[in-house]
Amino acid sequence: MKFASSAKLAAVVVSAALALTACGGSGNSGSSSGAVDGKGKKLSVLTGVNAQYSAQQKQWFTDIAAKFKAQTGADIEFETFASANDELTRIQTSVVSGQGPDVYSLGTTFTPTAYATKAFVTLSDDDWNKVGGKSRFNQAALGISGPDAQHQAGIPFVSRPFVMAYNKDLLAAAGIDKPATTWDELEAQAKKMTNPATGTYGLATGYKDNYDPWKFIWAMSVQAGNPLVDGKTLKLDDPAVKKAYETYFGWLTKDKVVDPASVGWSNSNAVAAFASGKAGYLMMTTSSSLPTLEKSAVAGKYAYATMPTAAPGDSSPKGDAANAASILSGDNVVVADYSKQKDLAFAYINLITSKDEQLNFQKIFGDLPANADALKSLANPQLQPVADTAAKSKATPFTGAWGDIQLALMNVTVQSIPDLAKGSVDDSALESRLKDAQSKGQASLDRASK
Amino acid sequence: MSTDSLTAGKPTRRKSTHAATPEPQVPDTPPRRKGLSERNRPLWMLIPGGLLMVIIIVLPMLLGIYMSSLDLDQYSLRQWVSAPFIGVQNFVEALTGSPLLHAIWLSVSYSLIAMVVTIPLGIAAAVATQNAFKGRALVRSIFLVPYVLPSFVVATVWRTMFQPGSVIDSALHSVGINAGLWLNGPQSYWTLILVQIWASWPFVYLLALSGLQSVDHEVHEASALDGALWWNKLRYVVFPYLKGPLSLAFLIGMLHHINNFTLPFVLFGVPAPSDVELLPTLTYVTSFQSFRFGLSAAMAFISLILIAIPLFIYLRAVKLDDAETPGGKK
Repeated sequence: MKFASSAKLAAVVVSAALALTACGGSGNSGSSSGAVDGKGKKLSVLTGVNAQYSAQQKQWFTDIAAKFKAQTGADIEFETFASANDELTRIQTSVVSGQGPDVYSLGTTFTPTAYATKAFVTLSDDDWNKVGGKSRFNQAALGISGPDAQHQAGIPFVSRPFVMAYNKDLLAAAGIDKPATTWDELEAQAKKMTNPATGTYGLATGYKDNYDPWKFIWAMSVQAGNPLVDGKTLKLDDPAVKKAYETYFGWLTKDKVVDPASVGWSNSNAVAAFASGKAGYLMMTTSSSLPTLEKSAVAGKYAYATMPTAAPGDSSPKGDAANAASILSGDNVVVADYSKQKDLAFAYINLITSKDEQLNFQKIFGDLPANADALKSLANPQLQPVADTAAKSKATPFTGAWGDIQLALMNVTVQSIPDLAKGSVDDSALESRLKDAQSKGQASLDRASK
Repeated sequence: MSTDSLTAGKPTRRKSTHAATPEPQVPDTPPRRKGLSERNRPLWMLIPGGLLMVIIIVLPMLLGIYMSSLDLDQYSLRQWVSAPFIGVQNFVEALTGSPLLHAIWLSVSYSLIAMVVTIPLGIAAAVATQNAFKGRALVRSIFLVPYVLPSFVVATVWRTMFQPGSVIDSALHSVGINAGLWLNGPQSYWTLILVQIWASWPFVYLLALSGLQSVDHEVHEASALDGALWWNKLRYVVFPYLKGPLSLAFLIGMLHHINNFTLPFVLFGVPAPSDVELLPTLTYVTSFQSFRFGLSAAMAFISLILIAIPLFIYLRAVKLDDAETPGGKK
């Protein structure tokens, strides 16, 4: 009896709660209908937080919002994410719930994964015209916007090609007149500059970095003619990949041209070593290292250069190798498919990819323009090699499996670090790690091509 | 979180079973003391809380179990409800085609080692600060520092110290020890245990302290009158009082260690060295790097069951809520 009465009450409470949640749900859905005029509307933009220039970024948000308001009458709400994981979580919840930001900023290597969710607008010719036309962009930067030229979702926003920096004094002291253009030459030059007694090493690079290692392997393999992904086949068990790992590990174990402590370094440790004048080359860096280096001991004594493009063992770039100086790196913007104000979103992208805004952005943050005119008109001679590299960048394979493949490539390095620290990587161990990477990556690729 | 549900959830359930089946075998004992308070209990007042539990805990868990039977990945995420149903394939893959079992072994063993070391540490610290002395409040506060620091901070600081060529290496080097790599390779397992011990022993200390506080003053006096020396007093008088709180500490500590994501993630990063590829890290990577949401839901579910079985047996065995156990009084 007692139970029955409380059960009745429970039923009442439950149904009341259900009614309440239902109200909450329906209250949200009544959002705007799409008109080109943005008066009274609010565009929501999700972009990465810039920890290095946070005050400038806030200022940039305010400036762009004011300009956008003048153009369309609409407001912008900027949201930032602190890390790639943050971003991913936002994308996942938005994809599942069908609501969230209208415009997202995505790293280039993440674009294929985002494309695979089909949650973002694949641009029609008409859409491209709304953002200023496809020809407005640096054509190389479009290489990772979609699986092919007809299906592109990512609109290039900035380029951040990977280059190396070299210490002019150390090179000159070792009698080297120009930076290396092949990996073999780089190794030879690095040997000349290395002097463990003074703590000076030819190369600075971080083996414990979360991203750098796979980029070396990718570059050397692609330059040797192995694009890693060939249609539905993954080719990590190819000799070129093994050779790439051997070269990369060899700097530490055989050539001894990097600081032994670099088994625990991330990229920022390598930048610090180079900035203190203890390294001839800083590998795998971007123009965003410029502000740090300008304030360091090597200010005025360093320059950027394109990384070698001839695969290990080659004396000159083979085939298309010269155009694989860096992964195609930077940021794309995408428009959410669920957005009810796509035209407004395109208007925003049109604004931020215009020549003036792109040059302005470069001046504040250091990232290179994706706008072709803006890229051409860059005045800073120091950035010239970086701008050249932007045109010689090659897209990583456009597949939803790329995240897994990247992880598999990274895992080979991570599991090899104990061997690296001991001074030699066992050949059979490397082979078995590569085999493992191949099978995991291939499984993921199979899922992608299903 | 788990503390609340453990201590708050259990007693009510137990009482209600008592209410349903009164024990007729003991007629000479007076009718149950709490009879009056158990009558007309406004149980319906539990509904709001219960409803929240259903929405926040039960529904997501059911959803997770459902997800584990779907082939849910980045390609099917958008229409996730219509993702292909594949039955137990995710479970088969998790058990046979992934390092899940290895991860479970690592997680459980590391948690156990860390707990076994922290319990004596915590008791020793609690006993040492039991009697008043000058500066005791300060010492007690310092003892709590590792516990109040956020896990992220602890891990970041330790990671910096464990870098090759960093403070720990140079300190050991100065006494002639070349320790090798801390954050990678087989030693990383022990690094994790060490940092976990450092971060979690104050928790045991806190609970041991609370146990010591509950030792009645008369008991101390009585044992002193009986001529018990310090070890006998500790062993036969004080420790029984600690059994309850320490069992609880062990239980919560184990669950916390097994579920600890921040510490290994910040210390070692992903992909994790295979020696410290723990359960939470593996589930995280499967979900958010490989986007195999279905598979990772299956992994999470398997680990839930694996943890729940010993947990259940343990809970029955120690009877944390038993009012007759000295430590569990009041």
